[in-house]
Amino acid sequence: MTAHLPILVLLATIVPAVCMPLLGMKNRAWCRPVALASLWLMSLLSVATFIAVYQDGPIPYALGGWEAPVGVAWLVDGPGALMVVSLGIVVSLSMTASGPRSPAPGASVVPYYALILLLVSGATGIIFAADLFNVFVFLEVAALAGYALAATGGGPALMAAFRYLILGSLGASLYLLAIAYLYAATGTLNMADLAIRLPPLLDSRAVLAGVSFMFIGLGIKSALVPFHGWLPDAYTHAPEAVTPVLAAVVTKVVLFTWIRIMFWVLGAGVEVQAAHILDVLWILGAAGAVVGALLALSQRDLKRMFALGGISHIALTLVGVGQGNQTGLVGGLFYLVNDAFMQAGLFVLAGAAIHKYGVRTWDDLGKLRAQAPWLVGALIVIATSMVGLPPTGGFFGKWYILLSALEAGNYLAVAAVAIATVLTLAYFIKLFEAIFRGPRAVEGAETPTLPLSFKLAVSGFLVGIVGFGLISDSVVAFLLQTTSGLNL
Amino acid sequence: MPELVQIAVQRPHVVVFIVLFLGGLYITLTRPNIVKKLIGMYILQTSTVFFLVTISAKKGASVPILRDAANGVDPALYVNPLPHVLTLTAIVVQVATLGVSLALVAAIYRRVGSLDENEIARQLQ
Repeated sequence: MTAHLPILVLLATIVPAVCMPLLGMKNRAWCRPVALASLWLMSLLSVATFIAVYQDGPIPYALGGWEAPVGVAWLVDGPGALMVVSLGIVVSLSMTASGPRSPAPGASVVPYYALILLLVSGATGIIFAADLFNVFVFLEVAALAGYALAATGGGPALMAAFRYLILGSLGASLYLLAIAYLYAATGTLNMADLAIRLPPLLDSRAVLAGVSFMFIGLGIKSALVPFHGWLPDAYTHAPEAVTPVLAAVVTKVVLFTWIRIMFWVLGAGVEVQAAHILDVLWILGAAGAVVGALLALSQRDLKRMFALGGISHIALTLVGVGQGNQTGLVGGLFYLVNDAFMQAGLFVLAGAAIHKYGVRTWDDLGKLRAQAPWLVGALIVIATSMVGLPPTGGFFGKWYILLSALEAGNYLAVAAVAIATVLTLAYFIKLFEAIFRGPRAVEGAETPTLPLSFKLAVSGFLVGIVGFGLISDSVVAFLLQTTSGLNL
Repeated sequence: MPELVQIAVQRPHVVVFIVLFLGGLYITLTRPNIVKKLIGMYILQTSTVFFLVTISAKKGASVPILRDAANGVDPALYVNPLPHVLTLTAIVVQVATLGVSLALVAAIYRRVGSLDENEIARQLQ
């Protein structure tokens, strides 16, 4: 049973995704319960996978019983299992939080839930795949679902989704091109084989080109700073229930794949033509952390502010990973998992503020103080983690990233993290000032009530964020143990 | 420079690939018409598929179907089939992408009545 857990995690979402149109023909009211049930089932299975990996080490899986050189290989290792758990739980919580009327007005229910499930199954495949081409296929499954979901808002969302699609396809083409280069140079696409054959070939110009194309391709998809142009519009205009899912899934999983390729395939110490690849990474990360937070500070639109803040938080992961020591890698991975909870929680709250309480502009934020104390409280907890104060997960992630930068003697990176933290604090202060000092709502306006499912789901996010901080010790110990074979 | 010319003459498929790729990218970036952008994107994607196919080609080799396995297999007689398999999957992915993007274009056109990017951006604000 445990041997087949990886495929079950994928099947739990991909089968209902494909069957959704049939189900919708029968009875549309079943779509939401079935989608939610399969998402929670997938979360349960991923937790079981994580426990199995925790106890017995990585699970290799040969699809259809065809072993590696011929068949498609999967490998569930420690970081991957952790990533899938966070993916499943975050998406399930986001979908639970969005009420029964969650799709945008005009968007039909059946394709909406099918796409959400497809997005999750694509992301699961990306995390599990141990083969570069398999990663490409799942990357596109997830991306196509993502483009269509981003467009469900209608109006300005259509053009945002179109830009996302053009840039995403460019990224995918570059990734495919990189696969062609690496295949031509090594004759294999299996990550374990590549890890043996690639390092001696790193002086070859074909490999250099392949690695660069892969970096740019995955960089576009994970919204690293010079390539982030598609993200703010796509997130801002997507409907309330979609943004948390997009924010928690697409960029995080792609970044995770890039980290995996960099450390597990290329090897961390890799120098390409005298330029250290990790140096490029942390410099881009440091720039992204500061620029993203600065851009967020200048916004007056709630969702756009959070979207730009998200770019800054993804970049922080890179600062940790780019230090090239184990503390940094573990800190980066920890921050990545924790950030999925923070981002999704933030967008769930923003969605509720906009659609339930009618907070259209910055000046309406004052309404929340009187009408939604509950929502403001949750926002404060998430902000604590975003800024990086103990005892939340955000604090420990940043702590390890800072430690690794100090360990590497990289004071520029330390400064970038510090500046990004101050800027994050600044935009949250700006936000809370608008909430607590803005004009109150008109007297006698009725207060909308939040459904219980929403409150439960948001509590889930808060428990996740604070819980990650409280158990950070064991999570970090686990990640340290799983990454100990990397010779960092 | 002579070195580059030599490479170009020896490997004409790389030149074709570069022309297609950059041409597609140029069209995507410069044309305001969103259908033309899609055409550029499709040329760009096709160029990568073209490149994948060309790296499997071999002089004097034939289709990779074993006719007489009993006498041993000589790899020099067959082209590498794997890039073709990858290509097949990549083409399917591209067709799906094109389908989604054309659906988006149709939705935009129905709403705005124009295919010009600037006009669409102005009307959707």
